[in-house]
Amino acid sequence: MLRYIGKRIIEMIPILFIVTVLVFLFTHLIPGDPARLVAGKDATLEEVNNVRAQMGLDQPIWKQYFTYMGSLFQGDLGTSLKTGLPVSAMFIDRFMPSIYLTLFSMGWALVIGLLIGTISAVFKNKWPDYLGMVTAVSGISLPGFWLGLILIQIFSVQLGWLPTGGSEGWKSYVLPSITLGAGIMSMLARFTRSSLLDTLKADFIRTGRAKGLKESVIIPKHALRNSLISVVTIAGLQFGFLLGGSVVVETVFSFPGMGRLLIDSISFRDYPVIQAELLLFSVEFILVNLVVDILYSLLNPKIRYVS
Amino acid sequence: MKKAKIWQAVFLALVCSILIVGCSSKESGGNTGKSSKSKDMVIAVNENFISMDPHNTGDTNSNSVQSAMLEGLLGFDRDGKIINVLATDYSVSDDALEYTFKLRQDVKFHDGTPFNAEAVKVNIERIMNDEGLRLNSRGFNQIAKVEILDDFQIKVVLKAPYSSMLTRFVSAKMISPKMIKENSAEIAKKPVGTGPFKFVEWVQGDHLTVERNDEYWEKGDRVKKITYKPVPENGSRVAMLKTGEASVIYPLPQQNINELKNNKDVVIDKVPSTIARYVSINTMKKPFNDLRVRQALNYAVSKDAFIKVVNSGFGLPLDSAIPSKTLYYSKQELYKQDIDKAKELLKEAGYPDGFKAEIWGNTNSDTMKGMQFIQQQLKEIGVDVEIKSMEEGTLSDEIYGAQTPKDAKVQMWYVSWSSYASDVTNATRPLFHSDSFPPDGANTAYYKNADVDKWMNTADATGDENEKAELYKNVQSTIYKDAPWIFLGVDEILAGKRTNVEGVNIDPTGGIVVKDAHFK
Repeated sequence: MLRYIGKRIIEMIPILFIVTVLVFLFTHLIPGDPARLVAGKDATLEEVNNVRAQMGLDQPIWKQYFTYMGSLFQGDLGTSLKTGLPVSAMFIDRFMPSIYLTLFSMGWALVIGLLIGTISAVFKNKWPDYLGMVTAVSGISLPGFWLGLILIQIFSVQLGWLPTGGSEGWKSYVLPSITLGAGIMSMLARFTRSSLLDTLKADFIRTGRAKGLKESVIIPKHALRNSLISVVTIAGLQFGFLLGGSVVVETVFSFPGMGRLLIDSISFRDYPVIQAELLLFSVEFILVNLVVDILYSLLNPKIRYVS
Repeated sequence: MKKAKIWQAVFLALVCSILIVGCSSKESGGNTGKSSKSKDMVIAVNENFISMDPHNTGDTNSNSVQSAMLEGLLGFDRDGKIINVLATDYSVSDDALEYTFKLRQDVKFHDGTPFNAEAVKVNIERIMNDEGLRLNSRGFNQIAKVEILDDFQIKVVLKAPYSSMLTRFVSAKMISPKMIKENSAEIAKKPVGTGPFKFVEWVQGDHLTVERNDEYWEKGDRVKKITYKPVPENGSRVAMLKTGEASVIYPLPQQNINELKNNKDVVIDKVPSTIARYVSINTMKKPFNDLRVRQALNYAVSKDAFIKVVNSGFGLPLDSAIPSKTLYYSKQELYKQDIDKAKELLKEAGYPDGFKAEIWGNTNSDTMKGMQFIQQQLKEIGVDVEIKSMEEGTLSDEIYGAQTPKDAKVQMWYVSWSSYASDVTNATRPLFHSDSFPPDGANTAYYKNADVDKWMNTADATGDENEKAELYKNVQSTIYKDAPWIFLGVDEILAGKRTNVEGVNIDPTGGIVVKDAHFK
């Protein structure tokens, strides 16, 4: 197992290398000129060209790429074109809040989603099922910004229990993680339900029941565990996306996360920040996938990885 | 079956608890939030702060925060007139080449370094020599030398006249010379100045806090701490004002004004801005090269309707080439909507049935609304406008990619210009001088008038206020008649404040002045 994990981590290197090339090309080839944006709209051509030269953007693109890779290998993510601050300094205050928000959202979404999904499957076509699925459908259909603003209206403006935003203390994480987790909770509930229903039809469940096993043993131990593979896949994917930050939720709750930084950087063509963020997301995604693969083998002993 | 009942009970309990939380919210309508008497003031703005280096800043919100901590030799009053701040007096030579300042003698930087002529010299030379700084290309590269006359007198000599130089001295805020020499990498993160507040911390994307400088040279009643927060979502910013989490919000979204009007805890500030809204018309392209066509377009559009429809009623008609808060502004006779006159002019120009045209703009929803408004107004006189909205970066490439007027594809561009405070040069030269055709400036009307060019050049080279006023009067009346734009409106800036807040003002550029900020 450890060898397998080691091998997977080594395999990351060529993937990340390809990512750097693609990201570099994408960011530099989209229309829009950061030098023009930095210099201001009343700048003369000469001023714009000066700015461009200072940023090193007048060099041929392959040369820029090698300069970039050179500093990347020394652990330098570069300097933001927009703020003049090191990219790492811009990440520091945003990275951990993004991670916490992801964990909180994912945490409650998993617990509640699995619970609703399981109950719905057990009571298929009875009222708990209908109620559970109505909840799930609403969770998916409510647009994040709307849900967020409604929550602010109720819990911050009317009741005054929770802050409208920010990232200070656990209180400010409550509303954003509810908003962010709602859709995922619903998705997980629906996947759990359908997957569990499939499993419950399987022969080994019938055998178990015939053997006289109680439902309270069959459902969690035999059926649910076998249904979790697809749920874990979905949860892993969602987790990866969440790490990339959520622009909508971060905007509504003025939350200092990675998503808004990315959008701000794209509209300003802040190449070093875009590149660093995309690279970071790629690493995160690959790591999440690795964890998902390991979870597979824990859930289903038939899945074993050999290096 | 028994198990099933337990499961059902659990589920029911879950649903009930959700419902209870949901319902109980309706019962209480009280406004709680943080106590208004707390000593910290929170100011929520719409965008992230970019940099705290005053010599390298172009955005309003960063400027606002900086102005709490840093001061320049000169400043603006609420009408955009230039006033003394760290200078006690200044004079400009007749040839507009020498600027002499007398300095305040009772000022210290936050790190204890005394403020004097040497400190000013270090600051100005930093900007002159570092080409990476924004202000460098804005006039400071025109400086030949800085001379210290005595401890508190300094003379700045230019290579050539530069008419915006006084406003540049407003933006060149003074940083501690010790910091510039020993620790200049930190200026963009935590600047040390002379202002009424001192830097405390900046958590990227979340907040920036400053605290009162008890040794500030001007005594006054000031709050202990101010925290600035970027809150981009309009609804959230308004919610913060309602709960009292924020004492001041800027900007206040126009669509929220009605819900706040009757809130007795909130007051609304309305300030005319220096933001002009217009459609630039490519005067070198057919049919726009005909003055009558351009005037017809102006007569076709109702300014009042524009302000009502597009700006939710907050704005003033643009009745000159520059907004009224600009220095040397002179009011022109407005193009009042007159469909018959517009049709008549089109007929004279040879387009009795109108023509087809294209209007460009970014993808912002307000811009889209504005372009649709123009489209609908021009339809009245038979001009069929096609809307082309483009993402900002692409749009910028399309406009500035044209190397000569002939290459330019732009016909009409729906856009706005926010000039640097009340600076008349910045409000005219980049937009109307023939040296400013893209990619050398923002004259996207490709407007060229030899007289206007000459007047602007002369005005730039003189230190005589009266002569300047006269020249800019001619500039404005000529441009307005030549109609290189469809003149639309000037924005009014809105800000919301809790009623217990005093001494916080919004200036015409959208800057937030907090020098005397305190709670009642």
